[in-house]
Amino acid sequence: MALRVDYLAKETGYNLIRNPSLTIATVLTVAVSLALLGSALLIRSGVDGLNVRFQDDVEFIVWLDRDATSEQVSIVERALNDSPLIADSRYITRQETFAEFQEFWQDSPEIMASVEPERLPTSFRVIPTEPDLEVVEALAAEYRLLPGVKEVDFAGEFIKQLNSFTRTASTIMLVTAAGSLVASSLLMYNSIRTALFARRREVEVMKLVGASNSFIRIPFIMEGLVLGVIGAGFSVLAVFGLNRVITRSVEEAEIGLFDSFALQQSDLLPIALWLLVAGAAIGAVGSGFAVNRYLDA
Amino acid sequence: MIKLEKVTKEYPGQTAAALKDADADIAKGEFVFLVGPSGSGKSTFLRLINKQEEPDSGRIFVAGKDIGKLSNWKVPMLRRNIGAVFQDYKLLPTRTVGENVSFALEVIGRPRHVIGSQVPAICELVGLGDQMEKYPHQLSGGEQQRVSIARAFVNRPLILLADEPTGNLDPQTAIGIMRLLDRINKTGTTVIMASHDRGIVDTMRRRVIELSGGEIVRDQARGVYE
Ligand SMILES: Nc1ncnc2c1ncn2[C@@H]1O[C@H](COP(=O)(O)OP(=O)(O)OP(=O)(O)O)[C@@H](O)[C@H]1O
Ligand SMILES: [Mg+2]
Repeated sequence: MALRVDYLAKETGYNLIRNPSLTIATVLTVAVSLALLGSALLIRSGVDGLNVRFQDDVEFIVWLDRDATSEQVSIVERALNDSPLIADSRYITRQETFAEFQEFWQDSPEIMASVEPERLPTSFRVIPTEPDLEVVEALAAEYRLLPGVKEVDFAGEFIKQLNSFTRTASTIMLVTAAGSLVASSLLMYNSIRTALFARRREVEVMKLVGASNSFIRIPFIMEGLVLGVIGAGFSVLAVFGLNRVITRSVEEAEIGLFDSFALQQSDLLPIALWLLVAGAAIGAVGSGFAVNRYLDA
Repeated sequence: MIKLEKVTKEYPGQTAAALKDADADIAKGEFVFLVGPSGSGKSTFLRLINKQEEPDSGRIFVAGKDIGKLSNWKVPMLRRNIGAVFQDYKLLPTRTVGENVSFALEVIGRPRHVIGSQVPAICELVGLGDQMEKYPHQLSGGEQQRVSIARAFVNRPLILLADEPTGNLDPQTAIGIMRLLDRINKTGTTVIMASHDRGIVDTMRRRVIELSGGEIVRDQARGVYE
């Protein structure tokens, strides 16, 4: 026997407004836990983008001691030229360093004034053949030991730290999200149980006059689905909002490094879809358990 | 129409059986009273027929079918053929008389035009044609029981089970309800009614099945209460 759409809409709607505080609590819990999940996913894909970016333009800098002898400099240069792992290297003179420095600090004349070009170090800009973090790390460790080398800098160090920090952060968020997803499923279960209790007279009469099991159950399952999807809808808004905030601050920062954290709409859509599916799943699971527990003949 | 073969029912945690080796054969169109002291198993007898309870042993046939073999999803179909009326009416307080009656048709998916014609007709039959907009709390006990009978009968079931339908009513009102049940019985519906009401049973002079401690101790055509 087909379930009439108007009946279903009426019953589900009535169930939703019957107990507003519980409805709101359930929707909010679902929204918060899914927002956490969405943010964790957002950060994850930001980190993945970071690694991709890093691989695009791997370069490291071998800083030389200010008083390195020309013999030491040429030893370093030879080591760089001879290594099969290095595609290209370029010597940066004091004047070039100073020029870069001036460009970087052009808005802060007081800092520029405090720097004398002859006190700046010289360096080699090195591009390795393998754009791989491990290889670059090994090379950096090797060149750091050469006489006359003061320090080897590479973006990888920073990216690595950032990487592990953001991964830890997003893992913590995922765990928290998992915990609150359990909480929201339980609240969903309770919400539907309360609905069943409130409508126990109707349910009793329906059983007596021979309403089919699915006819009795579907409005309650629908209630769970609607609650879950509404909650997920709010979490999608929250994630889009968060992405907007991140995008704005990335644009203000003017450092290209963090660009990958500002996701495009097309990257956000799969996340949004996942959240909606998760919301529906919470609703279905919570209401399914409640209905099976309390409606079995 | 209804046949019980050695039916025994024991509730969990209960020492004595609520119904013990009960045998009965009720033909189509019969009107049967179930009598006996409180706790003798009258309600259990009725609840077994529409599968609100399962027997521990024995078989129950309704319209020739062994309902013990009925799969779960077919139970609603059985219940569509068995109306049920209770001492406490079981009306839905937030729905009007008309809505209470149409609820029974709505939830089994009857089309709107059927509901639109059946509901007023049945309300007319039970004498509440002009009270369809009222809510249960605006009605007397007798009127509420009429609504509940209308709801049980609106789908024209083969069988009507009535568990002490006059239990909460004064004798005069009870007689009105009995007239209604009698009319329904005359349409060919088999009626089984549990009752404590000696006066009613003695006046009607119908078949009486007497239960005592879960056992059928008397089964008498045109019987009296005691
Ligand atoms: N749901 C139940 N759980 C446990 N025991 C029950 C249950 N329902 C009935 N009983 C027991 O089964 C026995 C028969 O009960 P039943 O309700 O059938 O009697 P009855 O004849 O309808 O009584 P009354 O005239 O008071 O309505 C009683 O001893 C009762 O306590
Ligand atoms: Mg009883």
